[in-house]
Amino acid sequence: MSISKSILYVLAATILLVSCRSREEVKFSMDPKENVEALWQIIDTKYCYIDAKGIDWASIHDEYIAKAELLERDDQVALFDLCAGMLDSLRDGHVNLFSAFDRSYSTAWYDTLPANFDTRLQALYLHDYRIAGSLYYCTIDNGKIGYIYYSSFSNDISTSNMAWVLSAFADCNGLIIDVRNNGGGDITNAYRLAAPFFSDDQTIGYWQHKTGPGHNDFSALEPMKLKVSLAGGNRWQKPVVVLSNRITYSAANLFVSMMRYADQSLIVGGLSGGGGGMPMSYELPCGWMVRFSSVRMYDRDKDDIEQGVYPDILVTQQSDDKDDIIEKAIEVINTSFR
Amino acid sequence: MKRVIGIFVVLLCLPTLLIAQEGVEHDNILKLKIGTGYQFDSYLSPLGYTGLQFGLGNEWWQPFRQDTRLGRSGRLAHWAHVGCVDMCVTDYHSSARSNSYLGLQIAAGWGAFYEWRWLEDRLRVHVGPYLETGFSGRYHAGNVNKIVSFDVAIDAMAMTGISWSFYGKRTSYRLNYQFRTNILGFDYLPEYWESYYEITEGVPGQPRCSGPWNHNTVKHELTLDMQFIRSTWRIGCEHEYVSYGTDNLHFMHNQFSLVLGCRWKYKIHANARL
Repeated sequence: MSISKSILYVLAATILLVSCRSREEVKFSMDPKENVEALWQIIDTKYCYIDAKGIDWASIHDEYIAKAELLERDDQVALFDLCAGMLDSLRDGHVNLFSAFDRSYSTAWYDTLPANFDTRLQALYLHDYRIAGSLYYCTIDNGKIGYIYYSSFSNDISTSNMAWVLSAFADCNGLIIDVRNNGGGDITNAYRLAAPFFSDDQTIGYWQHKTGPGHNDFSALEPMKLKVSLAGGNRWQKPVVVLSNRITYSAANLFVSMMRYADQSLIVGGLSGGGGGMPMSYELPCGWMVRFSSVRMYDRDKDDIEQGVYPDILVTQQSDDKDDIIEKAIEVINTSFR
Repeated sequence: MKRVIGIFVVLLCLPTLLIAQEGVEHDNILKLKIGTGYQFDSYLSPLGYTGLQFGLGNEWWQPFRQDTRLGRSGRLAHWAHVGCVDMCVTDYHSSARSNSYLGLQIAAGWGAFYEWRWLEDRLRVHVGPYLETGFSGRYHAGNVNKIVSFDVAIDAMAMTGISWSFYGKRTSYRLNYQFRTNILGFDYLPEYWESYYEITEGVPGQPRCSGPWNHNTVKHELTLDMQFIRSTWRIGCEHEYVSYGTDNLHFMHNQFSLVLGCRWKYKIHANARL
């Protein structure tokens, strides 16, 4: 065999190999039934709260497949709305469907709870503030109490930020950390914000990941450890009150949950929004992305925190001229801890 | 940018210099790769992704020992070793064109081979073992949760190659073909149900023993070296096919690159006095 023929064979073999694709690859498809089926399968095998929430997922399959069969193939908006409706039945803020033209979201997890937060009323307290990283802070109650507002755990905070904030409140009697309407973000920031309020490393909760396609295929509970070294030497040894409401969600919900175990701490406000499942994503054959809870988180007492964390002192906002929850926190710091 | 590229080139060439033996002729090839690829990662998506890749690599060949006969008898040592460092960045898009992966692949390997020569050393065939460690990470750019997936593998591979030197009208050429495939090794996969948070928080995935029954790696390289004035340049193509998985997960990438390289030979002389 000549050299040139050998080269040709090698090139042909290479081209053949280059064209290889995975047998398991799902082909791109806009077929409504195929996409609804894929979405149902993803949630059925990967979503971690189907049984915990008592959802009859099998009947949802039949209902939505029947609806999908009525859709026209090119009607993407109708298909999106159908899929979003299916996901809405999970009542989970961590469940979204992303397409190029829309993002679905559920409001069912907080709709029935009181808002307990009004920026207009908060502004009566949060003025002349400074901003350290993403922490808005000032003193209230004639300089006797420190107040921090943190609107999103997606915005990073550093130990240096914490050092400045805590040193600014060195002469205060107590501290209020307001995480109302904080929809969560990075749990590392939750650990970092909580660390100065703990005197030693400890288990602040547990998590449990899925180990199979069954609704109850979970691993054993694995401890979530909070390390005080995250505080970078910062330490707060006075009373601290955390404010929560219905949209204190996800990482913020975890923060509230772990702060219940901090030294000299109390939770004041409303039931937090929950969101104890850490989200994961996957794609549908049409390329849309679905996000869903895939890992269950529990508090230190092994109670699931998906449905929120109850405050130590339940307060519902009723006044029009003052923030009842901040007022209650001030009262608690000035009385309960003494 | 020039500084970054400079640092990469120095890093790539560093292993060559570190293992260089005194008085032995070293053959070094610095390569630039541009190509296309296919990626399937069932941990991230059921869809296949295709796109472009850009890479830099450095490869060196040298005899095992300081051969004092070299130049005296004209015979080269038959046992030699080869090392390789490759870095590659990828930008792949889904078949739906809705999302993309940004990827980084790093591979480093070392092998020893025995070389047979015929036709006055113009035709050479080499065979030997090759040990490679590789890392491949993928970042799902379209995902709000910054989803990532990665795999790590250490493979003992079989390596073989053939090269043929010939003379053209104005210069000399060498045609090379190399082939490597895995025999035995270890790889790491995330567990199917494990979230990327758990991976990055250090929860172990599945380190496991790998071989052709669950992990296939095939690498081909067809190149042509040609002398141009006083330098030697390399052009050619590379193909890499990697496929592995478990019952629930399947990963695969299939890449084809055009290679442009510069080849040079050098010797290190200790205490040389001019």
